[in-house]
Amino acid sequence: MIAAAVLNEWYPVAMAAMVGPWPGRATTLLGHDINVFSEGDKIIVRGAGGDLAVTLAYGHVWACPGTPAHDLFPVPEAAQPGRRLVDCGAVRVKCSPLRAVENFLDIAHFPFVHTDVLGAEPHTEVGRYEVQIREDSDEVWATKVHFYQPQAAKSAAGGIVTEYMYRVAASTSAVLYKTCPNNPDEWDVIGIFVQPLTEELCEVWPWMALFDDTTPQADLIQFQQMIFLQDRSILENQIPRLLPLDPGKEIPTQADLTSIAYRRWLKRKGLTYGAQMVAA
Amino acid sequence: MSIWIANGLSQDLPPGVVMAGAWRGAELAIWRSASGRLSAWGDRCPHRGMRLSHGFVRGETLSCIYHGWVYGSDGGCRKIPAHPAMVPPATIKAEVYQCVEAGGVIWVAPAAVESDAPDLAGLTPVRSVTLRADRGALARVLAGAVAEGDLWRVPALGAVLALQDRAEGLGLHALCHDAAQRVAVSRWLDGVLRLAEEGALA
Repeated sequence: MIAAAVLNEWYPVAMAAMVGPWPGRATTLLGHDINVFSEGDKIIVRGAGGDLAVTLAYGHVWACPGTPAHDLFPVPEAAQPGRRLVDCGAVRVKCSPLRAVENFLDIAHFPFVHTDVLGAEPHTEVGRYEVQIREDSDEVWATKVHFYQPQAAKSAAGGIVTEYMYRVAASTSAVLYKTCPNNPDEWDVIGIFVQPLTEELCEVWPWMALFDDTTPQADLIQFQQMIFLQDRSILENQIPRLLPLDPGKEIPTQADLTSIAYRRWLKRKGLTYGAQMVAA
Repeated sequence: MSIWIANGLSQDLPPGVVMAGAWRGAELAIWRSASGRLSAWGDRCPHRGMRLSHGFVRGETLSCIYHGWVYGSDGGCRKIPAHPAMVPPATIKAEVYQCVEAGGVIWVAPAAVESDAPDLAGLTPVRSVTLRADRGALARVLAGAVAEGDLWRVPALGAVLALQDRAEGLGLHALCHDAAQRVAVSRWLDGVLRLAEEGALA
């Protein structure tokens, strides 16, 4: 039995540009088989119990298996002139969708998992940053996050201190804003949209909205895929596979304030699909 | 039945290396420090549950591959790279097992156990293999084997097998009485592996 709070959220189920006519993309959402297909101009997400609520945004098809509790989260930068929107395809990961999001919110792993790209020893320190659960938007935000990076983006020529903001926009979607190497007045925007196939299996759809006119699309996608394949080697080897929400099973530090807030927010909202509630 | 479970041959774990192990159902990280000291821990970093067997050895410490948390040979966390100035609290500790070497075999038991590991002194270590088979199937191809718990003596072969249940299958750590028989025992293991691959031991 899946909680109504979980059913009433929006989940990514396909890249919009890839959807064809019936049977389209046969996939799974929250353990149930669905087909994502086009019919004329429309995109339909069909499950055994009928058609799901659908919305198109940020290059992806979003579906809600229940009654949508709210609109899909806004990303105003998606409509900003001059940005390149890049769909990166999916990476399938044998882990809880919540673990995939939590890893995306984490910076302390950069020197060890994305060595010499997003981080490098001895630049391992995570300084104090600010985290809040914003009551107006009902989102988790981390701001003033700074980290030294050898190659922060495909377009970065050398090491720089990158500033980040992280945003949990939905239970299985997060967006980060980071220093833009080509445009100091703007942020690069990178999202991960995680499709929960089951509680222990997900597909991760990275998506980017960048100020970068020069890097070939294939290189941007390859860079993002490389980063996610490195993350996958972690995500598939965490025990347990589910994200523990009860304190005591795992030990966070000050660098994990975003993850602590994310777990607390999930628990408060009852968004526990993919979570372990009782310490095993 | 011994509480000590064979987890490999000493020759297969050189200094500076970490490998996955198992004690009955528990998954382990077993590693050897630069100076040769052996440790066996629960295969889980207390921070975010990452397998420590995917980590890396530096000198006398093992680091988790996820966030680089450094653990000393007593299992205690020595350093958290995200907070270089912080002394980690003593409560951050890997789950420590006993790990000893005897007769060229790495043996593991829970921390509280007070008994000695099996003594296979005088035998020559051959090699370790993992079979997709259970003990019943193994017994069928090992006619005449004498089982003492996880130690199977095979007189016809002049060999001793230390058995280990692993997530991937049945671990066989083979030794022989006569060093001259090493190649023969190794070839025999190849034959058993082939039988298992062909499904004959299913």
